[in-house]
Amino acid sequence: MTISGLIGLAFIIAFSGLIILFTAAKRQQPESGLRKIPAFSKLRRAIGLAVEAGSRLHLSIGRGNLTGPESAVAFVGLSALEGMIRSASMGDNPPVATTGDPSLAILTRDTLSSTYRDIGNIEHYDPTTGQLAGFTPFSYAAGTLPIIQDEKTTAHILLGHFGIEVALITDAGERGGDLTLTGTDNLPAQAILYATSEEPLIGEEVYASGAYLNAGQMHIASLRAQDIFRWVLIVVIILGVLLKLMGIDQIITDIFGGLL
Amino acid sequence: MNLKLKSPVSTSLAIGVGIVVLLGYFFGGDPSGEATTLGLVRAFLLQGAIVWAAVAMLVGIFNLASVHLAKIRSNEEALYSFILLFTLITTLGIGLYDIVETFTQQEINFTRTTWVFNYIQLPIETSLMAVLAISLTYAAARLLARRLNLISVVFMGVVLMLLIGAVPQVAAQATILAEIRQWILRVPTIAGARGILLGIALGTIATGVRILTGSDRPYTG
Repeated sequence: MTISGLIGLAFIIAFSGLIILFTAAKRQQPESGLRKIPAFSKLRRAIGLAVEAGSRLHLSIGRGNLTGPESAVAFVGLSALEGMIRSASMGDNPPVATTGDPSLAILTRDTLSSTYRDIGNIEHYDPTTGQLAGFTPFSYAAGTLPIIQDEKTTAHILLGHFGIEVALITDAGERGGDLTLTGTDNLPAQAILYATSEEPLIGEEVYASGAYLNAGQMHIASLRAQDIFRWVLIVVIILGVLLKLMGIDQIITDIFGGLL
Repeated sequence: MNLKLKSPVSTSLAIGVGIVVLLGYFFGGDPSGEATTLGLVRAFLLQGAIVWAAVAMLVGIFNLASVHLAKIRSNEEALYSFILLFTLITTLGIGLYDIVETFTQQEINFTRTTWVFNYIQLPIETSLMAVLAISLTYAAARLLARRLNLISVVFMGVVLMLLIGAVPQVAAQATILAEIRQWILRVPTIAGARGILLGIALGTIATGVRILTGSDRPYTG
């Protein structure tokens, strides 16, 4: 058992504690107080429009591997998928989801079928609405293009792990005049999405999707916990800079270096 | 908490395995570097997950085939779907032939499969990469027309400066531009990237905690 292991575990426990605390506190005091992110307002409008006009929503969950760190953003995409189905399942053209990873494709179909079952609308579930578009980055992008070019589809939500190939998908969406809302954990892809997407989500905004799509109280609570820990990190960074400027960083490194 | 305990067995199993893997990450090794029991259990579980991910590849192939078969039946973009299924079956056939030959001749021989990848898949993906370059140039040109604000102007300005500064002749002539480029790459780029990565790390932890507590459950069981 190392000191760094203990610190890591303490960090996770504190994070979990805060989430549980905020979830419990929220129940007694119902207010949302989330800052306004224009991308999610547009998405809610797009969902409403899709139900009214009978158009289709497309959600791409990326090609993140479930056994890697990029799985977290894929789970965010799955939460968003659940939220979208709950809101738009009654439309003439139910939402369609694409992925670029086989294990993620299984979870996508599972999410689709379980959500339709939950809302008592299993007869609307079409297994082909959960699609594995391709196995390699570019075949995934190419496999997604026919759905983007489908005239019935009016909004494309890309929430997951993508690489630079995502520009092909967003470019096709923009040419079709559709709404493209995008968020990813990959830094080069984020830079590309800023230039090519109508509504890019920067940094951790993608992880807030569940809170803005009414995926549950715990999503809002985890957002608040993230805000607190962000401030903790800012204080730690500023403290580190000050210690470095005062020239006493080496003393602290010497004290803790042996323990970590 | 929004606990969905409709499938308590799968939920408990997923949470239990998640906690063991998490603890194994922090306490998987002793100070001397030797794997602890927790570390060994974690490695075993992760290896199992990797094997299941490989099995999922087969399921994925069936998913791909069934979606395109349905498209052919409904006559919706049937030609593309037919081409996809035809190439899928052909590539699968070539791969199986190579495997059988490898076993019968007791010598590794995947020349046909390698040929398919080197002379069909690779050139197609390279062409898509070329299309991507055009798409990005077009998107960059449209960015200011679509979203004219300070951040977009700074974004485009920095992109242009970095691109111009990367030209060797320009860098040799205008050393100040090369120095500014180096400073941008060394200081604001790394600082910004670290800031975004810290946010992503916090978001990843939050997602993990929600899954460990059963609030997010991307499986039914």
